[in-house]
Amino acid sequence: MAPRRGPENPGPEEVLARLDAIDRLLEHRVRLAIVVLLTRYDRLSFSRLKELTGESDGSLGAHLHRLEDEGYVAVKKEFVDRKPVSWYRLTTNGRQSLTAHLEALGGLIGGVEP
Amino acid sequence: MTGGGNDTSRAHRAEEDLGYVRDLVARSERDDTPRAIWYLWAAIGGIGFALIDFRPDSVGLFWLVAAPLGFLASVWLGWRHARKLGQESRREGRTHMLHWGGMGGAIALLVFFAARGHLTGEEIAQAILLVVALGYFLAGVHLTRPLLWVGLVLAGSFLAVEFVGGYVWTMVGAVMALALLVTAHVQDEAGGAAARP
Repeated sequence: MAPRRGPENPGPEEVLARLDAIDRLLEHRVRLAIVVLLTRYDRLSFSRLKELTGESDGSLGAHLHRLEDEGYVAVKKEFVDRKPVSWYRLTTNGRQSLTAHLEALGGLIGGVEP
Repeated sequence: MTGGGNDTSRAHRAEEDLGYVRDLVARSERDDTPRAIWYLWAAIGGIGFALIDFRPDSVGLFWLVAAPLGFLASVWLGWRHARKLGQESRREGRTHMLHWGGMGGAIALLVFFAARGHLTGEEIAQAILLVVALGYFLAGVHLTRPLLWVGLVLAGSFLAVEFVGGYVWTMVGAVMALALLVTAHVQDEAGGAAARP
């Protein structure tokens, strides 16, 4: 007898749909971490993000650049103690994309048997 | 690929990634209160309580000036620290301001109560000490864990005032100052950050 399909036991089509809903940009753990961190704080500086993620300047810069290009984060440059600081904040688009991505991830994790 | 090992490995990778994100969020939440705030209140508390023994007529004026100025200075120090750290959160700032502002408001109401003649000088001081002890204890529960034991020490001081004679208020001030300085030192030893509750 074929297994009954449902939210806990999805069929191949359902799994495919859930995979499609995953945001490719947020599939990278560093970009996902940046966006999640920015939901918790109004603004984070480049150096703080670097300290938290442990990424190199180049790598972090590339990730932030991609997120900025897609309109997920916005950057503002300011001077703090006469030093230039790049501040990042999450955009509405970034927040909506993260919500959709986390829902899709939840479905994927819950729907695949170990 | 649907339903196969590829999906399973992708799901496992997603779980690992979420674990990584959780760790980063926890690291970002490690409390890092600027030391200057501990030092400031160690000085204000030390002087303010000692004045009850040495210059009781100046205590009211001292607290009337030092408490609001200390509050504003703490807000500024916290804001400047957040900017230097590169991590700004209005929600966090608001929570701290509501907590400490609420404690200040309770003390102001006690002073009003005393001004109406319902409490004498010693009684108002003791009532304020109890509110301060509760304020620090609750800050330890909700905001900055090391302040929990500062609250307990102050609660112990409240009992000491009841049973110890002599320059007991000077001792209360010294104990408060010492507790805050030890908190700052412990935070330094922990690498500048303590786990948030």
